[in-house]
Amino acid sequence: MHFELNEDQALLKSSTRELLESESPIAESRTVMEDNPDGFAKDLHAQLGELGYLGILQTEDAGGMGAIAFAAVLAEMGRVAFPGPYMDVAVAVRVLEDCGGDTAAKWQQAAASGEKIVVLARGENMTNADDTNVAATFADGRVTGRKVFVPFGAQADALLVDTVQGIALVERPDAGWNATEQTTLDHSQRFAAIDFDDAGELLCDASKGTQVLADAARRATLGASAVMLGCMESALESGVAYTKEREAFGAPIGSFQGLQHRAADMLIKTESTRSAVFRAAWAEENGEPDAGYVVSVAKAWAGPSSRFVCGQSIQLLGGVGYTWEYDQHMWLKRAKTFESFYGSTRASTENVLASSTHLNS
Amino acid sequence: MDLRLSPDAVKFRDELRAWLDENLERPYTEELLDPKHDEDSLVEVRRNFQRKLNDAGYLGMGWPTEWGGRGATAVEEALLRAELAIADAPQSPNSLGIGLCGPALIHHGTEEQRQRFLPAMLSCDEIWCQGFSEPGAGSDLAGIRTRAEPDGDDFRIHGQKVWTTLGPWSDWIFVLARTDMEDRYGGITFFLMPIDQPGVEMRPLKQISGESEFGEVFFDNALAKREHIVGKLGEGWRIAMTVLGFERGGSTLLPSAEYGRQIDCLVDALSASGEIERADVREKVGALIVENEVLRANGMRTLASVAQDLPPGPESSIDKIFWSEYHQRLTDTAIELMGPQGQLLVTSPGARKDVDWMYEYLWSRAGTIYSGSSEIQRNIIAKRVLQMPTK
Repeated sequence: MHFELNEDQALLKSSTRELLESESPIAESRTVMEDNPDGFAKDLHAQLGELGYLGILQTEDAGGMGAIAFAAVLAEMGRVAFPGPYMDVAVAVRVLEDCGGDTAAKWQQAAASGEKIVVLARGENMTNADDTNVAATFADGRVTGRKVFVPFGAQADALLVDTVQGIALVERPDAGWNATEQTTLDHSQRFAAIDFDDAGELLCDASKGTQVLADAARRATLGASAVMLGCMESALESGVAYTKEREAFGAPIGSFQGLQHRAADMLIKTESTRSAVFRAAWAEENGEPDAGYVVSVAKAWAGPSSRFVCGQSIQLLGGVGYTWEYDQHMWLKRAKTFESFYGSTRASTENVLASSTHLNS
Repeated sequence: MDLRLSPDAVKFRDELRAWLDENLERPYTEELLDPKHDEDSLVEVRRNFQRKLNDAGYLGMGWPTEWGGRGATAVEEALLRAELAIADAPQSPNSLGIGLCGPALIHHGTEEQRQRFLPAMLSCDEIWCQGFSEPGAGSDLAGIRTRAEPDGDDFRIHGQKVWTTLGPWSDWIFVLARTDMEDRYGGITFFLMPIDQPGVEMRPLKQISGESEFGEVFFDNALAKREHIVGKLGEGWRIAMTVLGFERGGSTLLPSAEYGRQIDCLVDALSASGEIERADVREKVGALIVENEVLRANGMRTLASVAQDLPPGPESSIDKIFWSEYHQRLTDTAIELMGPQGQLLVTSPGARKDVDWMYEYLWSRAGTIYSGSSEIQRNIIAKRVLQMPTK
């Protein structure tokens, strides 16, 4: 038994950290959030494609690196509240591979290389992100219907639309998407509602699509948990670092037991999330029968835990923690937003109960 | 990463399960409910089961084989404890002796001490209790005031120890006492003492559960022989800390296994009543399972690092806080969800008989206090892991 990343995964993690530190530190995430209308840096996204990051979830033969690598990369991205559709595209690339066929293969290549943005358009329910019922249809070469909270949908070159008939690919129409921006707490995570009445192509039928989308949802659930882990790491580190610098009552505030115990609780939540996320990543990568169960455990735990840790990081900083200038809010907002998507806390918890068989082995 | 058990570990576990099927007559909770038993006879149930474990080679897991142990790996020891919990097997009445005193003798004792004490410890012919905590020194263990005064070659012990688990049933006690009142750490010596002697008075200490599994022991000029000092004079603190460190690993899978069994029983109770269909109940039970699985993930991670002989990380304090505080949340919530039935003592007609919830509820209050309170553990995390400043 061992818990550490293998050599390749550890190298990927450290090179990802270096890349993000040089190309997209949290200050850059802030710039993108404040100034970039697309909500992400296209050149950096393309660079991620060139470096193989976008194809990370593909099968090994196609150049994929596995679920553990995926989780390790996303945790790094969470550390800098990395803006953009990286995770959504990586998930979509694997959906394209699973669908198969010429069109899917062409778009798989384009999305994995970073040339094109392709994401899933699935949910239709404004009040329940976990509702997998769809009314959107594919008929006579056209997709009609409305999808909500499509991540970076307005910026996508193509959307993989979950319809009654199966997964249909719709290319961005010349006139652009009929999109309504859905602005959330997290300014660096863009969502849009999209109304479809567009030409499309069915990539796979509903019976196969159901499984493909279930696999995709599970991977996204894992990925979102890993992002939240990264947010927690940074919120903890930066909060604790501040308590060592800041003095009050003639001492560094980090010497006060009230803050020490708060910070200890933050560490407990963060490290426990790491245990849960990588246990889940390992199960996913190895196709363990309980993968869906432990992935839901990770998400159900990471949501409330990341809210706690990122929120307490603001508390450690006191007044300045509430200012726009400090980074604390960026991690909190990402965590809070991600809690509601990619398998909400409530749905993940229910999934755990429903599939609970105690795995005492 | 690799979280799969090795084929050897799987084989060990499967053999153990088969052995338990064969040799565990009934779950301990059933023994507890048997009206023929009192506190004394329940200790005998535990003693007898320990002997069976010992005969089968499942005791002294981490001890070297030359002293009757198994020389087992940390993974095997963790699996054993988890399986015993799942099977609801009687707990060893000599776990402190085997877990702490035995390793102290093996690593720091004399050949004579090992020959004299180790076999009877495993066979449970002699039960050992621990004399560490005092009324004035709990979390601050180095603050002990029990003193050992030279008397010829030997020593006379004066003072009081408390929280001596199974003290009233013990034959021997291992004691930390001061041979130097000034030197905080270097003035502590590790003594072995028989309880049945003039100058030792063992009193049962009634706990909030109404039982007296713990005792308090008073020393008034009690004899501690020089040949029963473990290590040298003044080495007691170091030895105690070393053997406490051996605990790491063996217990990593125990809490989640034990609580997993309790959750299963809770789900059975709520399924029987139909309450499990309620959305609010599902949300609470689901959250309990999530948290127990995170506890299990932490345990697997700790075990993996122990299995590789990696230096201890922050995990032991994290694990301690996590399981002890989680047990409080689990029992609190479980009893609330079971409604009026959940209020019944296990011996009451109509109570659920698979878990003694009221006992678990009360016992969970002890977990955040013993073996380093939650506050001490948080101090350790803040100072050693997060390296936060001291004033």
